[in-house]
Amino acid sequence: MILQSHDLVKSFGGVTAINHLSVTVEKGMVLGIIGPNGSGKTTFFNLVTGVYAPTSGHVTFDGKNITGLRPHRITEMGIGRTFQIPAPFSKMTVLENVMVSTFIRASSLKESRKMAWKILELMRLDEKAHTQVLNVTLEDRKRLELARALGTKPSLLLLDEVMSGLTPSEVKGAIELIRSLRTGDLTIIVVEHIMDVILSLCDRIAVLDYGEKIAEDVPDQIVNNKEVIRAYLGDRYSARH
Amino acid sequence: MELQAAKAETLPSSLVWRFTPLTLLLVISLIYPWIVSPLWIRLGTEVLMWAGLAQSWNIIGGYTGYLCFGHGAFFGVGAYITGLMMINLGLPFGLGLLVSGILASLLALIIGYPTLRLRGAYFAIATWAFGEMIRQIATILDFTGGAFGLQMPSYLNLPYFYYVMLLVTGLTYLTTFLLLERARFGYKLLAIREHEEAAEMVGVNTVAIKNWAFALSAFFPGVLGGVYAYWVTYIHPDSVLGAQITDFMVVMAFLGGIGSLWGPFLGAIVVQLVQRVLWLFWGAGTFYLVIIGAAICAVVLFIPNGIIGLRETRIFHPREAISQLRKRIKW
Repeated sequence: MILQSHDLVKSFGGVTAINHLSVTVEKGMVLGIIGPNGSGKTTFFNLVTGVYAPTSGHVTFDGKNITGLRPHRITEMGIGRTFQIPAPFSKMTVLENVMVSTFIRASSLKESRKMAWKILELMRLDEKAHTQVLNVTLEDRKRLELARALGTKPSLLLLDEVMSGLTPSEVKGAIELIRSLRTGDLTIIVVEHIMDVILSLCDRIAVLDYGEKIAEDVPDQIVNNKEVIRAYLGDRYSARH
Repeated sequence: MELQAAKAETLPSSLVWRFTPLTLLLVISLIYPWIVSPLWIRLGTEVLMWAGLAQSWNIIGGYTGYLCFGHGAFFGVGAYITGLMMINLGLPFGLGLLVSGILASLLALIIGYPTLRLRGAYFAIATWAFGEMIRQIATILDFTGGAFGLQMPSYLNLPYFYYVMLLVTGLTYLTTFLLLERARFGYKLLAIREHEEAAEMVGVNTVAIKNWAFALSAFFPGVLGGVYAYWVTYIHPDSVLGAQITDFMVVMAFLGGIGSLWGPFLGAIVVQLVQRVLWLFWGAGTFYLVIIGAAICAVVLFIPNGIIGLRETRIFHPREAISQLRKRIKW
């Protein structure tokens, strides 16, 4: 097991965003996290990556307790993450954006340029390498988010709605891209609203509702789970079925 | 003829273009004191000092996006430390400068640690208060001479101070070039300016990097303050710690173009020359402040990238210009 959260709680004032959440992620698997808006998916990512400190509970990664560490330390240890709303360094070029993320793995500027090029080729962004991010499309920005996360050479990758806002054909391309990352030991956690994406990518799916995990199972079981249907479609709908 | 042509071929023309202006600038600045009158040597020394100060401010304000409004304090602290060390301890000038720079950097680390977690106007206000605090301290303490200030041993040698200023400012620009334009440190600073959370998320230790940048940006004002003190021989709180020191650094950097290597240099030349020309025509007054204020309004409203940015960008609509500037500073 590569990541484990024990009894994680995060409250903002009176609102409990994450409520006693325990999740275990095995090495090499793809875990999907779904849930209605405001169910705590992004908050969970923020707790794992150190953006927030949990109110109680703790997170272990690779056997080490990473609770309370600063985000850059956690990135160094091997957790990469994309932002739901792309957060590029706008005035820098696509290449420079990825270069910054390789700094923790490279010993020189030259080496990090080489590493960044490799990732851009993999992400099919090499033609835009010298374009300022201000001038690239949303799809490319989403790819860049992924490229930048890969630049940190993560062993665990957290993808926060990397496909929202893309057209269906772009989504297809993105799914292929993420599939191609599954070679080797890379573990991935995907937060996504598009069910097709989750179902076709994930080995297991966890469902959050009001910060609590209401179900966790393989994809086939999740779609028939009563609790899940109730959370998404309401009590009346689930009573009729 | 043929040989000459061949020689020209082997030198990459882009390289020639890049280094010719720089070499020319260096040669001119080296022979400058030999070809002009003492008044102009003094003016040249002033321009060099301001060019160095504006660039120092640019490191934290332009490259990192944190508007520091207390930067003059590092200049004043440097002036006082060099002065006190030469008067009381009889230490050599050069050593005084080095200590001034180091202590200014240390002060920046102490101030930066709590204030660099603030952004935009809050950081500006906090650093402005810090600058005011240093001025008040220098005014009430006994060993700094209170409101009367310090009288230094005088060394009347204009070219000497011109060359010292040239050396320190030259080092400021060289350091900026090597560390900010050609090294990972510079990329990290830009990343912090563009999106601090994302920078942290890709492994940049934002707290440490910001503090180092602040310390670096305080080092050169510290040294330049020391040179200034020995040059003018008499310093007091208003002359080296007044708000106008910071104001001019900011104005010059903005006018020339923040976040660029040569912007602050251009800004320093323009502001200093305009100020002196007005002074020559209308005598000592404060009218130049009006003109400089108008120039700054024009920069903010129409050319957010400063004079240096005019090479590649057009003149903006005010709304667009302001939004451009906002993106470049942490607001």
